[in-house]
Amino acid sequence: MIPLAQSLDLGLSRCRTCGLSVTRATLGAGMRCPSCQSRMEQRTPYSTEVTLAWLIAGMVLYIPANLLPVMHTSGLLGESDSTILGGILEFWRAGDWDIALLIFVASVAVPFTKFIAIGLLLFTVRKNSQWEQRQRTVLYRIVEFIGYWSMLDVIVVALTSALMQFQILGAAEPRAGIAFFCGVVVVTMLSALSFDPRLIWDRRS
Amino acid sequence: MNAIVICRDCDAVYRAVPLHRGDVALCRRCGAVLARHLSVNVDSGLALVCAAAIFFTIANLTPILSIEIAGMQTRANVWFAVRSLQEGWISLAAFGLAFTTFLIPALQIALLFWVLLFARTGRRAPSFGPIMKLLHQMRPWSMSEVFLLGALVAIVKLAKWVPISAGPGIWAIAALTAVLALLGRCDPASWWSIGSEAGT
Repeated sequence: MIPLAQSLDLGLSRCRTCGLSVTRATLGAGMRCPSCQSRMEQRTPYSTEVTLAWLIAGMVLYIPANLLPVMHTSGLLGESDSTILGGILEFWRAGDWDIALLIFVASVAVPFTKFIAIGLLLFTVRKNSQWEQRQRTVLYRIVEFIGYWSMLDVIVVALTSALMQFQILGAAEPRAGIAFFCGVVVVTMLSALSFDPRLIWDRRS
Repeated sequence: MNAIVICRDCDAVYRAVPLHRGDVALCRRCGAVLARHLSVNVDSGLALVCAAAIFFTIANLTPILSIEIAGMQTRANVWFAVRSLQEGWISLAAFGLAFTTFLIPALQIALLFWVLLFARTGRRAPSFGPIMKLLHQMRPWSMSEVFLLGALVAIVKLAKWVPISAGPGIWAIAALTAVLALLGRCDPASWWSIGSEAGT
């Protein structure tokens, strides 16, 4: 493969907001992009620290999100609280394996993939590793892309609660777990957005 | 046009080459998209934004789902879903939902309309810079496609118990998703050259 120069070594810089390439020497003291006036940073400041902080917050929130019920249903068949995993199991037992799988992917597999993938990216960047740089960049893009699909369960619970308003015949209400779960989605998205993938390619001594 | 292109994901430096219709320039090292030939120009962009505004309005005025039991009817769309989460501090989730499925798509459509309206005459809209920055930052948080999938899951989930039917809103939100995806293909980064000293 042809070795490609890093903009860092050529004295160039790319604006993260508008994509303009700038010679660093021409930037004024304020380091503002000449086109969009955003602050230009060679690398996102404190990227790994901020990413790690959001990642830990996401993992902490993930615990109550799974332990607490997300929805309370009542009706002619009695009352019950359901958690995310409980809901998936219910679908599975009822034979709706496709819906069970979809919710499993969105609510369990995606957050877990994000925790592991971001953890791996942070670990290898800290180690200054040169292992599979291209694959790790692809992994970052996958994390960036799948992030918001976890919002699925929040939407399903909200729609179900909005629709099931038949008092004794059947009613559904949201429970605390769903707020924690919404928090997990937001916080892990912030974690992924704080990570600067260019760190994967930097060689620091 | 920038003579030098730098990869957003791996910082590799390239000399820009002219792209033809349908071309996508990928980073040789990490595979990121470096640049795209603009398949959506200002006029078609503006048309798409108008379509998005119409679909967004329909999706929010008509029911997406409805259930009828013994003469009682309940309906749901984005706003009903948000309101159903307003219970004590669970309202935090209502905020999250309102932002990602209502406020941000609405702002995206309004701001894109504003920018493109001026771009038609080759001018930069007032407060172009801050608007473009905001559009850039809002992009990951726009979730109407997730809402569509959520509505479909809710239908399958509830269909076993109650007679649930999809309203016109579900078609509107499906169309909105498609139009927003098409709009996402036109690269806002290239609009920075609109009306700048260098020309287009």
